[in-house]
Amino acid sequence: MIRLFTNDTWVKPFFKQYKKPLALALGLGLLSFTFAAALMFTSGYLVSASAVAETIFMLHIPLILVRVFGVGKPVLQYLERLASHDWVLRMTSGLRVKLYTALERASIPGRSQRRLGDILGLLSQDIAHIQNLYLRTIFPLVIAYALYALFLVFLGIFSIYLALLMAVVLGVVVFVVPLLSVSWQGFYQQQIKQLRNDLYSELTDNVLGLGDWICAQRGRDYVTRHEKHQSELSDLKRRMRAIARRRNLLIEVIFCSIVLLMCLWAASTFALPGQTGESSHWIAAFVLVFFPLIEAFAPLSDSLVEASAHKDSIVRLNEIPAPPNEAEIADSASNVARVSSLSAASLDRTLEVENVAFSYEDHAPVIKNVSFKVGPHEKIALLGRSGVGKSTLLSLIRGDLAPQVGSVRLGGVEVFELGDQRPKLIGVIQQQTHIFASSLRENLLIGNPQATDKELVEVIEAVGLNEVMQRLPQGLDTFVEEDGGIFSGGERHRLALARILLSDVPFVLLDEPTVGLDPVTERALLETIFTLLRDKTVIMVTHHLSGIHYMDRVLFLEKGEISLEGKPEDLRKSSAKFQELLKFDYT
Amino acid sequence: MFDRTLFSLPGVKRILILLACISLLYAALVFLQAFALASFVVHCWEGAYFLNELSWLALFFASYLGRQLILYAQDALLESFAAQTATTLRKSLLHSLFEQGKSLVSKQGSGSVSTLVLEGIEQVETYLALILPKMVSMFLIPLVILIAVFPFDWVSGLIMLLVFPCVIMYLVVLGRLAKANATKKHEEFYQLSSHFIDTLRGLDTLKFFGRSKAKAKEVFETSERFRRTTMATLRIATLTGMVLDLFSTFSLAAVAIMLGFRLVDGSLALFPALLVLVLVPEYFKPLREFASDYHASLDGKNALRSIVDIIDASQKSTQERLLQPDFSLETWNSGSKLCVSDLRFSYENHPALKGVSFQTLGFEKIAVVGYSGSGKSTLLNILGGFEDPHQGIIQLQGSLATTLAQPAWQRQLMYIPQNPYLFHGTLRENLCFYTPNTDELTLQEALSVVGLKDFVDSLDNGLDTIIGEGGRQLSGGQAQRVALARLFLDKTRRILLFDEPTAHLDIETELELKKRMVPLMENRLVFFATHRLHWLDSMDKVLLLHHGKVVAFGTPEEVRASRTLAKLEIPEEVFS
Repeated sequence: MIRLFTNDTWVKPFFKQYKKPLALALGLGLLSFTFAAALMFTSGYLVSASAVAETIFMLHIPLILVRVFGVGKPVLQYLERLASHDWVLRMTSGLRVKLYTALERASIPGRSQRRLGDILGLLSQDIAHIQNLYLRTIFPLVIAYALYALFLVFLGIFSIYLALLMAVVLGVVVFVVPLLSVSWQGFYQQQIKQLRNDLYSELTDNVLGLGDWICAQRGRDYVTRHEKHQSELSDLKRRMRAIARRRNLLIEVIFCSIVLLMCLWAASTFALPGQTGESSHWIAAFVLVFFPLIEAFAPLSDSLVEASAHKDSIVRLNEIPAPPNEAEIADSASNVARVSSLSAASLDRTLEVENVAFSYEDHAPVIKNVSFKVGPHEKIALLGRSGVGKSTLLSLIRGDLAPQVGSVRLGGVEVFELGDQRPKLIGVIQQQTHIFASSLRENLLIGNPQATDKELVEVIEAVGLNEVMQRLPQGLDTFVEEDGGIFSGGERHRLALARILLSDVPFVLLDEPTVGLDPVTERALLETIFTLLRDKTVIMVTHHLSGIHYMDRVLFLEKGEISLEGKPEDLRKSSAKFQELLKFDYT
Repeated sequence: MFDRTLFSLPGVKRILILLACISLLYAALVFLQAFALASFVVHCWEGAYFLNELSWLALFFASYLGRQLILYAQDALLESFAAQTATTLRKSLLHSLFEQGKSLVSKQGSGSVSTLVLEGIEQVETYLALILPKMVSMFLIPLVILIAVFPFDWVSGLIMLLVFPCVIMYLVVLGRLAKANATKKHEEFYQLSSHFIDTLRGLDTLKFFGRSKAKAKEVFETSERFRRTTMATLRIATLTGMVLDLFSTFSLAAVAIMLGFRLVDGSLALFPALLVLVLVPEYFKPLREFASDYHASLDGKNALRSIVDIIDASQKSTQERLLQPDFSLETWNSGSKLCVSDLRFSYENHPALKGVSFQTLGFEKIAVVGYSGSGKSTLLNILGGFEDPHQGIIQLQGSLATTLAQPAWQRQLMYIPQNPYLFHGTLRENLCFYTPNTDELTLQEALSVVGLKDFVDSLDNGLDTIIGEGGRQLSGGQAQRVALARLFLDKTRRILLFDEPTAHLDIETELELKKRMVPLMENRLVFFATHRLHWLDSMDKVLLLHHGKVVAFGTPEEVRASRTLAKLEIPEEVFS
């Protein structure tokens, strides 16, 4: 746990940032507890002293103090809440940007996305966990330690022995019991967490396959199985709570002993034999002063145990390579500037793939030896079974991956060396186009942030979304909902096409753009795509033959190599395989 | 403050009575503790030697300890009650889900259903174990303390009495305000976190267009905007806590000052004054504890309601189904007849089926075709009994029914979607899901029939390889083959529902799969929803859906020959 924290690069750096608001939040917290104790202290004194005072005016200092502490305590606490939340939220903004930048750097388009949904959800939850870590553990812990020190100093003024004794007794609650709790409960906590996660994934798994359970009429079997696992979990939880219960009892006994100690000390120090004097008033003050502090010290054990539950979040975040600091970003920016002197216009539009081979880490090569050349305005279809490496080839062409052998050149320049220049040259339409949960306008402007509304409307018309546009209540400002929920499958692809047209790139890569569409929609979409992209170079990855007649050439990818290549009309005559597939797809 | 759903739980009344007794006992000890402490202090103040007053301290210690022991016992008692109730609820909930909950899951999403089963039940448990005692003690403990204070000092008692309803009223008002605020904040938080996830999901797209770096600024700005709105809501939300605190410390200060004045003029002695001073914080403590857990109590309340609603609804629908007496079916055979008329179904306001009627006899293979959104999947869901039609009559082998969610029907059917679900488990478990008692020989036969043999042989662990979530990933084609193997193994199921089983497969895989699939459809009633029209050649009939209605039903030749296609502007080539 300690090692984890020292190596941490995600939680700690934010201590340094926004130092003043942090000090303010902690200071307010400390002060509000001090006020609470002072209120009881003064009240005890006031009441005792009033009992023998001649007139109330003799007591006007404690009277004022009682009012100040009485009103001040809640106000301070209120301000402390606001200050600490404000700090934590500021920190969160920083954390989000950091996480975004880190993921942005680490991600390779098209590769990482498969099971990303879960991981993203987790990471976003981790940020919430770190918020809680600060609010519920780190802040209360720091405040409690400070309060502990302050209380001892206060007692030390009156009696050094009392302060030392209290340092030990209260120290048990502040230091020993929390640490013991973590080791007592930590074991169960880990197991509970593990079991809960298992149970959650098992349940989700089976809820996803609910249809099969119902049809097979084996629902009862599952319920029995779930209950068995659940009872293990409940059992662990029961044991952990029993520990917490006993521990709380122990803490309370210690608190009670502290009050007893204060009673005995105050009575032996301030009581005057057989009479009431000036010093007798302090007895009540010292007896009462500790009560409000219980609230600060009692939750320490629980919050430390809770903190150790956030361990995974910190580990997970630290596994992401931290983004470089700003100096390095600026450096890489100047790098980009150098490359961009190669202006897009000056490039020859020929794409050359030469003897390319590629494998992921230690795996067998996905692409063994692929060469082909694509001239300006050519339309190429790349066919092959799922998993044959079509998408990898696309990543190589776009330069998101660099081939281990051979080269991919665009106008004579290695594609991956083009860096940030690539989006101006190569556009992509994916199988599942991501549509952001914002307005239609913002979704289109991703293609070209400088586009005017007039241009946007023109493009919408061109891609055949005119009717859809008229249906939208607020036109371009309509919120398109999560994942573009207001659009059908075909419409989403048209939107992707609109973005490509706006970005005005000379090369377009289509990655299975019509999967899952009904044949009528598919035909119409392909027609629009190839009409609008006639002046561009297009490479389309596809796994069936619809739209093949738009193509100048067809490449079949098989076992990492190109097994068949030619014009569709030639293949129709010469290749038996092509004939069979064609017959199948165009029955 | 108490919700009615709570009282529907078994044993809750007994627990409430117990809690009330415990609270009263606890309050008595609080009083005793304060009495002992005040006595000790006052006696010492008056000049008594403190060692002579140790009995008061002993009483103080005993009552303090007694309080803690009561809390301990109360905790243990409620924990077992909460755990028991949670188990009962969870069992009923799971039964409702796993016996007929498919429409619920498709409506609410599998994630939220799992969350309800695990976290929702946990919230109910917390609600019962922690919030219930706090609700009881919030009323009873202040009452006892108040009654105890009056005989000693009625002025302070009056102050405390007057403050209490103000606090409650204030809490109610602020509670509403805070609830509205919390909902708003929750929505904003949801928007923020979904914006963040949305941005990360769209990272590919942003990178393709070279916008990913610029987006970092937007992430920061959105987050900061959220911070500002949150702070605005927090300023109000945390007011509850502050005002409560203010009430409690302010009344303490007020009581102390009032006591001071009356002590000076001699109308009050020190002992009652000190007693009151010690009791005032205890008077407000239960209220403050409840207020700090207010949100947890809301979560628990809502979770309890959703769970009880689901259980009730499913029990009701089970009863409704039982109203069709002795619904029984024989195994589907060449003479069996299914006739549906005027089936209607809508999702919220959007009608999906607008009166679908057709009939079929024996082992027919029916292709269900139409544009996306024409109602194909909805029809299949109704035929599978996963959704109940909102209107319409179903005649099955002569018996009438309003829904196909009949165990006797579902026992005979197999539903194969685009992505057949593979459970996390061994390949063998997945293959034998419908027929757990399959012998090895039959299983091997199934593997060769569906063309999985080579794949299984290539695996190190063969049939014992773990697949599904977290295990070895199977391709779309392989998953379809597993589904086909299940079909081959369960010879008793004579009704097949396919929902676009090959839409996402590459053409070569589809071609191979088709060769395996067609023989398995022999002697079975098949409904086959698809966009891929080469399948029509293997079908006996075509059911063409358009905007939730049947526009053509007949043999493929008849449908091709009819003029329907021209009317729907479906290009002839698509169907040729």
